[in-house]
Amino acid sequence: MLEPVIDGEVRDLLESSNSQIVATVDETGLPEATRAWAIDVVPGGRELRLLLSTTASRTLANLATTGRIALTVTHFATLESVQVKGRVVTVDVRTSADHIRFEEFCAGCTRALNELEGTPEAVIGRMKPVDVVACVMTVDEVYDQTPGPAAGARVAPVEA
Amino acid sequence: MTAPRVPSPAAGAASESRPALRDISACFEGIVPAEIATASADGVPNVTHLSRVHMVDDERVALSNQFFSKTMQNLAVNPRACVVVIDPLTYDSYRLLLHYERTERRGPLFERLRRDIDAIAALTGMQDVFKLRSADVYRVLELDLIPAAVHEAAPDAAPGPGGTSVP
Repeated sequence: MLEPVIDGEVRDLLESSNSQIVATVDETGLPEATRAWAIDVVPGGRELRLLLSTTASRTLANLATTGRIALTVTHFATLESVQVKGRVVTVDVRTSADHIRFEEFCAGCTRALNELEGTPEAVIGRMKPVDVVACVMTVDEVYDQTPGPAAGARVAPVEA
Repeated sequence: MTAPRVPSPAAGAASESRPALRDISACFEGIVPAEIATASADGVPNVTHLSRVHMVDDERVALSNQFFSKTMQNLAVNPRACVVVIDPLTYDSYRLLLHYERTERRGPLFERLRRDIDAIAALTGMQDVFKLRSADVYRVLELDLIPAAVHEAAPDAAPGPGGTSVP
């Protein structure tokens, strides 16, 4: 069976400082929305390492019970968008490298939004969470989410 | 009926003022895109952006259904959704837990959303892409401020809706 592998432009979009939104679900099917605060594609392209707010308590509880997760990344300017669905493998305390990645991601988003919309950087910075945890999720499905008639189309697997 | 005022157990002191929909009306101006999470019958989550969330009354919001078909498929079998909106002045984020109530394909609410979609399409040059299919109305079950570092750093700052300060 073909499995999706993330590389190329999709990897570049996922790892960029852009909008990163996350959905999880509890054992009753109740969805929960939050944000991710940086994503890295794990070498091999079949897993993602993403940072989530430590105060996203319902999200973290859902990951501990169902493990189901969906992640959509959208380019601030072009609205190019991709959604990845999978299951969380691990949730761990962040490392020092994660913290550096988190700070770089936030700085990149702040800069991009300031340049795009003129929103003061101090205002954008108010979204920043206290701290983050690091999750690793599988890449089970990948969809094109760019607004338009092709939104929702499955991105073809790259290799077997 | 009273407006939803359910604090989040995770939000700490910042949520104790329990914002109502009218308190966060700036979030519904369509300046900063929102996000919506839904789930399928077998528990697979889905998340996408919304150009705008519309306040209908003190208990309800409406979402424009343009082409987020997976969202609508999910809501047909699991009528609960979680939406995050952002105040364009403070960038405070609010989490709304919603229950789908009804779909409108004509009438004043539909026309209000259609005008909004047409304006957004004109501004973004996407007139051929953005087209309102329906106005979907949801009851708000919970409304919480999403805590951020700034709320912990300045607990004695002048509070805005949800206990936050306006810079």
